[in-house]
Formats: sequence, C-alpha cells, structure tokens
Amino acid sequence: MFKWFINHEWKRATRSNVWHKKVATNILMGFLIFMMMLYLLALGLFVDVIIRGLYPDQDPVGILNGFLVYYFLIDLIARFYLQQVSAFTIESYLHLPVKRSTITHYVVLRTITSIFNYLPLFVFIPFAVKVIAPDYSVVDAWLWLLTLIFLVFTNNFIISYLKRQLGSNPKVVGLFAIFLAIFIFLDYFDVISLSSFSTFAFGLIFTHQITVIIPVVAIIGVYILNYNFLRNRLYSEEINIRKHKKIDSIGNIRYLRSIGLTGELIALEMKLMWRNKRPRTIIYMLPLFVLYGFFFYPQEIYQETFGFLIFVGVFMTGGMMLNYANYAFGWESSYFDTILTNNISIDRYLKVKFLNSIIISAICYILTIPYLFFGWEILLINTVTFLYNIGLLVFVLLYMATYNKKRMDLSKGSVFNYQGIGASNWLAMIPAFLLPVIVYLPFSFAGYKIAGLMAIGVLGLIGLIFYKSLLKIVKNQFLKRRYIMAEGFRER
Amino acid sequence: MEGKNNEIMIEVKDLSKAYDGVTVLNIPGLKIPKGESFGLVGNNGAGKTTFFRLMLDLIRANSGTVMTKGKNVSKDENWKFHTASYLDDGFLIDFLTPEEFFRFTANVRSLTEGDLSEFYILFKDFFNDEILEKGKLIRDLSRGNQKKVGIAATLMSDPEIIIMDEPFNSLDPTTQIRLKIILNDWRKDKNTTMLISSHDLNHVSEVCDRIVILDKGNIVKDIHSSNNTLKELEDYFYTQIYAQS
Repeated sequence: MFKWFINHEWKRATRSNVWHKKVATNILMGFLIFMMMLYLLALGLFVDVIIRGLYPDQDPVGILNGFLVYYFLIDLIARFYLQQVSAFTIESYLHLPVKRSTITHYVVLRTITSIFNYLPLFVFIPFAVKVIAPDYSVVDAWLWLLTLIFLVFTNNFIISYLKRQLGSNPKVVGLFAIFLAIFIFLDYFDVISLSSFSTFAFGLIFTHQITVIIPVVAIIGVYILNYNFLRNRLYSEEINIRKHKKIDSIGNIRYLRSIGLTGELIALEMKLMWRNKRPRTIIYMLPLFVLYGFFFYPQEIYQETFGFLIFVGVFMTGGMMLNYANYAFGWESSYFDTILTNNISIDRYLKVKFLNSIIISAICYILTIPYLFFGWEILLINTVTFLYNIGLLVFVLLYMATYNKKRMDLSKGSVFNYQGIGASNWLAMIPAFLLPVIVYLPFSFAGYKIAGLMAIGVLGLIGLIFYKSLLKIVKNQFLKRRYIMAEGFRER
Repeated sequence: MEGKNNEIMIEVKDLSKAYDGVTVLNIPGLKIPKGESFGLVGNNGAGKTTFFRLMLDLIRANSGTVMTKGKNVSKDENWKFHTASYLDDGFLIDFLTPEEFFRFTANVRSLTEGDLSEFYILFKDFFNDEILEKGKLIRDLSRGNQKKVGIAATLMSDPEIIIMDEPFNSLDPTTQIRLKIILNDWRKDKNTTMLISSHDLNHVSEVCDRIVILDKGNIVKDIHSSNNTLKELEDYFYTQIYAQS
C-alpha cells in the first residue's frame, strides 16, 4: 500500500501546475543542500583536529559529547521553523479497503524523508569512523552512532508532533517551549551545566553499553505519540473543519467602519491576515524581525559602522512590510475576481495597499523605539529607514507585486514556502536593502555620517509628498497587468 | 419584448477570444436590450464562462468589444456600478462569515444599514436558517450554502445587470424554486437585465425571455421565448446526438 501512496504523492507533486515553475527553485535548493553536505563532511572529517587545537589535553570525544545537547536543542528550534509537515490527502483513501492503521503509519513515517534527518550524519559518521573506532572500539563507534541517529529521528518525531499540535492545541507547543527555555536559562546562568550533563550522558554509551536502549525507547515513545494523535483524528471532517470556534471580532474596529469603503477594505485584509494559516505564520515571525537588532547593537564594532546598521534598520522596520507588499495582490488571489468586478475603484484599492503597508511598517517601527537604549543614533537610523520604507520602497514593492501571478494557497505554512512566489519577488528585495546604503555611503566617506542618514530620510519624505504620482505609476502598471494576474490567480 | 423600452443595455461587437491559437469564442454581434432576461445554453467548453468573463472584463479579448450602457467595459470602470455578478467561488471571500461578506458587499455597493436589514428580511426564506448566525466561515459551509451566499450577495444591491454562471447548480430543490420565483418577479417588476447560463434546459426556459445556444464558441441558435421553447431546445440537442452517430 505504501508503494501506492508514494506513487500518488510523486504524481501529485510532478503534475501540479507549479511543478515546472518550481524546478529552478528546486535546482537552487538542491545545490545549496549539496554545498551544505560538503561543508558538513569537511567538518566531520576535521572536527577532531579543531577540538584538539582548542582543548589539547582532553579527549575529543568527551568534548564533542559535551556539545551534543546544544546541537539537539538547536536542531529542534531550527526544525520548528524550517521543517515542513506537509499534508497528505488521506481523504481519497479513507473509504477504500485500506486499514486505518496503515494510513496512519504512512503519515507518521513520511516525515523521515526530511533532509534534516540526514545532514547531521555527514558529521557523525566520519567522526565515529575516524576518532571513536580507533580510540575506543568499533562496537563503541557503532553504538555511539546509533544513539545519535535514534536521537535525530526522535527530534524529527517530536517536531512533527508539535507542529501538528500547533494546529489543534497550541498550548502544548507553548509549554514545551517554556520547558526548553528554562533549561537554557539555567544553563546560561550556570545554575546547571547542560554541557557536563551531555558529556556524562553520552559517555555512558561507552561504559554501560546497555544505555543504547534509552534512545530506542525514546524514539518508540514519540512514534507512538504521533501515531495515537493522528489515529484519533482520521475523520476527514475533523481534519478539515476546525472545532466550532467563536468567530473572532478582528477588524470590527469602529473607526475603520466609520471611514467607509477604505476602512472596510483595510478590515478585510486584517481578517485575511489573521484567519489564514500562511499570513498568520508571518505574523508569528514579527518578534524575529523586531529582535533582529539585538544581534548587532550590543557589539561595539557595529556601533561604528552605520552602513550595516542601516541595513538592519531597513530589515527591522520594513521586513514585515516586504512580506506583505511583495504579494500585495497575491494574498487576494482566491477572490481577485471579486475585487475586479465589484465597484471598488483601482485608485482606492491601491491606496488601501499603500496604507496597509504603512500601518505594518509603523507597528514595526514603534516596536523598535526601545532600542533607543543603545544610543540615539540607533533611533535616528531606524527613523530614516522607516521613512525610506514607507516613502519609496513600498512603491517599488507594489509595482513589482503586479508581476506575481501565482495563486497562493493561504492554508499552507509560510517559512520556506515558495509556493506563489515568482522571481519578481526576489528581484524586489535587492533595491530594498541596497539603495539606502548607497545613498549613505558618499556622505559617510566625506565624513558627514549624520547628513548621510538624513539624506535617506529626506528621500523617503519626498516620496511621501509625491505619493499620488507614485501611486499613479503603480496604477498604470496594475491596469496593464490585471488580466495576466487574474488569469494566473484562477489557475489552481 | 414589446412593451419594454428598446434601450440597448449590452452590445457585443466582433468579440473573439483564443487560447494558444484556438478560438474559444467568436461573437460577431449581439445586442441585449434593457430588461431582457438572457439565457445562455451550451455543452461544456462551449464558451459560456469565457463569454461572461469577457463581459466582466476579467480576461482580455483578442478582438472586439463589450459595451454596457454604451461604454466599453475594458476602458471604463463605470459598468461596475450597475453590474453584479457571480460566476464561481472565486467571487466569495471564504475566510469571512456570511454576515461579514454581506456587510462588505453592502459597503462596496454603497448600501446603507437600512438597505442591509431590508435585504436580510427579503432573503430570510431563501437562507432557510442555514446561513446566518451560524458562527461559521464561508469556507466551512457546504457547497450549496456557499452558492446561496454568492447568489444573495449578487442580488442584494438591486443592480441593473445581473450575470450569473450556472446559478441553479448545486442548490437544493426548494432553493432552486425560490431563486426562479425571485428572478421572475424581478423580470416583471424591476426591469433588470439578467444574463444566466445553465445546463438545465428546464430552468433556463422558465426564467429567460431569450435563449442563445453556444457551440464551440459560436452562436448557433437565438430563440425568443414562446410556449415551446423547451421543446425547441431539446430538439436541438437531440439532433446534435443523432448527427454525430
């Protein structure tokens, strides 16, 4: 039966309308993964040399074991954002004489194909062969390797369980995150030492070989957890229709109602963002954008180089807006015909897109004001980049958005989801980040750093003053592209 | 029809649409007077939806024009103010509740709160307690109920022109009859111009004054309603089958 499932999934993927469009992205991804494998292989081959260089008197195996717990933690977090738990359409099989357990096992097992499960092997295998086998014994090397492989797959099943829970019971995910955070926190303040625990725990494999049982039990445990979770949810009505929830009152803001159709259209997009999975995951990413500054501001080298901080500013105040405006029309692909046939004038429609972009960017800007703590220059940089974003960048993005004619499935997650994204979207990101730095650099070389920052802000203000003319350019472009967009959006 | 004034509401000239060099629609000329209820019949692929999409400026014609009230739909946006349409579920915003969608439509069509409550009274029976106050999003409704929402939203603003693709499809029998009653009342009282396509010859002959048969993009028959319209339509499709065999 699995053979059929795999066969059908392969056909579904290759026969989908976007397959041929995705080929280029897939080749690029394939290349990146290949490069990654080479790097990891190199790391695996030479990690003992590195460790011996850093800790000359200690056993490299012990040191590496000390790092493993961090590795598995980072792996969990990375997988949470990057690993897809893609849907498998079980509805077409439920009514056939196929055992429900077979279907469930398949759905659970198919997650093991994720590349995340295989990349670490490029480090672990060379290390086991090159270091553990000669220093300890071949049996030890095998046991160590098997332990790690079991743990990698344990992570895989933990994440697929958590991601599935995210849909039905997000509290479980929250609790798990708090649990992890407490450990990391305690470790950071030296209350406990994850590292020495890790050295000890993975060292047990060599002293008490029977401990290899522990990861085996763990993997069986999480497998059963996944299995039971899915087995109880095999009724398609429970998969598709979420529990009878009270409809949120988002967008029912009195002020928006009072300003007529423009307010109605803004409220509509607020509902779009909140009630669909894909835009919602982007909202969840907001903290990532806003906290981005923390990586750079505390470090003194960056305090001197405004050029880079401008980039950080554009990204923090404009990253969310970029996500929105890039697909300004694509978001509405499922009902684009409604927009075109109702009496919504194009001018008003585009103005709403412009206003929404400003609102999103303004929210990000307000959230970054506390960075004032790191110096007033930071606030100045973020202010001018904010002005640049809403005065100039937004028009570039809206213009480019008309080249996006792929229907977007709002019910799929967003991180590394390229569905509905064309080359134009990537193209739009280049000027986004480069132009402000280019404007700033000549001033900086002449020694007028602050004037350089002001120039970026002035550029944005000029754009805001002439917003009507700039929107007009977007409108002409929109009119030219509307049939092509509408036709593309209709293609499922 | 005599008695109604002869103002031309929609005029189609030399309209053609081709995909990859294959012509899917070719209408040299067609005039639809104000107040006419115009039925479009044809097999799958005959070009019905393409024709409606061209009228709504949703696709670009290879040649020719569609004029409503004397204005070219692809050049001038005015048609949107007096045309309401429902072609497929792409006309629904599925993450809204029906109430929110009606509110949105009312706002877009510049209706007042009063108009909206009047609409709810008027369509109470049509909704049959299955649409409103259910706390469900449109995407969680059944297909038939989704269609009801789409049709009701189309009719709510009392437009001068209504364009509906397969409105009877997937409606339950009661609602089909109710819709026919509404359409026939409007035809008599409001002088609304209606364009309706259907596969069901019964329905279309009951609500339309004039029925056009499309075949592979061409108008092959243009029938003005009489008592034996249904017979005439059926005969046409019977002859088609015999001609093939």
